[in-house]
Amino acid sequence: MRGLVRDTLLLVIATLVLGTAANLLPGRHLAWWGKGYEPPRAEVDFNFLDPGSADAMRTSLPGVVFLDTRSTTEFAAGHVPGAEEIAYTDLQAQLTPERLGRLRSAGAVIVYGASDETDVEQLLAQELRRRGLAPPYVLIGGFLGWQGSGLPVDGGAR
Amino acid sequence: MSWLRNPWLHRALGLVLGGIFLYAAHAKILDPRPLVTIIWNYRVLPAGPINLMAIYMPWMELLAGIALVTGFKRRAAALCSTGLLIAFMVALGINALRGVNVACGCFSTSAEDVSNAWVLVLRDLPMLLAALVMLVFPPARRSGVPTPPAAQA
Repeated sequence: MRGLVRDTLLLVIATLVLGTAANLLPGRHLAWWGKGYEPPRAEVDFNFLDPGSADAMRTSLPGVVFLDTRSTTEFAAGHVPGAEEIAYTDLQAQLTPERLGRLRSAGAVIVYGASDETDVEQLLAQELRRRGLAPPYVLIGGFLGWQGSGLPVDGGAR
Repeated sequence: MSWLRNPWLHRALGLVLGGIFLYAAHAKILDPRPLVTIIWNYRVLPAGPINLMAIYMPWMELLAGIALVTGFKRRAAALCSTGLLIAFMVALGINALRGVNVACGCFSTSAEDVSNAWVLVLRDLPMLLAALVMLVFPPARRSGVPTPPAAQA
């Protein structure tokens, strides 16, 4: 029993040493405590938008950008006309200064996913807000909601 | 129940469970930052300790995985694995009861990797059983090991 406790402590200490050392490396550092992630808040980090209003905005305003957070396969099968693909898990590479500059100067940014199943769209909107954009819109119902409203679709699905 | 103490069973369980832990750890060790969002999405911890979890948990998975696969300090690794798996199952179970399907962060740091929380609890169950077998039923000592002189006297 004593051996088990000693060996477990050894593993825990090794974990603490390695985790601490790795977190001191530049490029992958996380704040140790306190910041966490505040939940994305509607009307602060983003605003909800129904498909009909999103389409009206798309057809009447210049420079409206749709960001599609779904997988490449889903995007290829059908997406909102003119939408851009963006992978939430690879934001470091995808949010280049040029792209951020373009998004900042867009008339409006509308983020959508597959449906309302995940928080990814809201998290992406919050991240864009943090990076200096006006609060983006999150499409209610995602792409399913868009399709369900009979709105135009580019790509394979109709 | 003596078969539960078979050293070959422990080697096999260690290889499988250790392999799973090593696979689970690799993406989180390369970049733990997306893990913060995933842990936050579970909504079971306050904001402060979430970062500590994201910093240290992947390393615990890695070390436990190495120990389970190699057999070095395997029982201690089984104890750590038991703790980790119970924590995962409690967090998933709470979300399953809430009716929320979360991105589990088990094998990837993708926040879009959303699965049914009850299925994830059930998936962790055999892993917990394997860890418990290695923890509670240490392998029988091999026969033929010479008795220490002090014991012969």
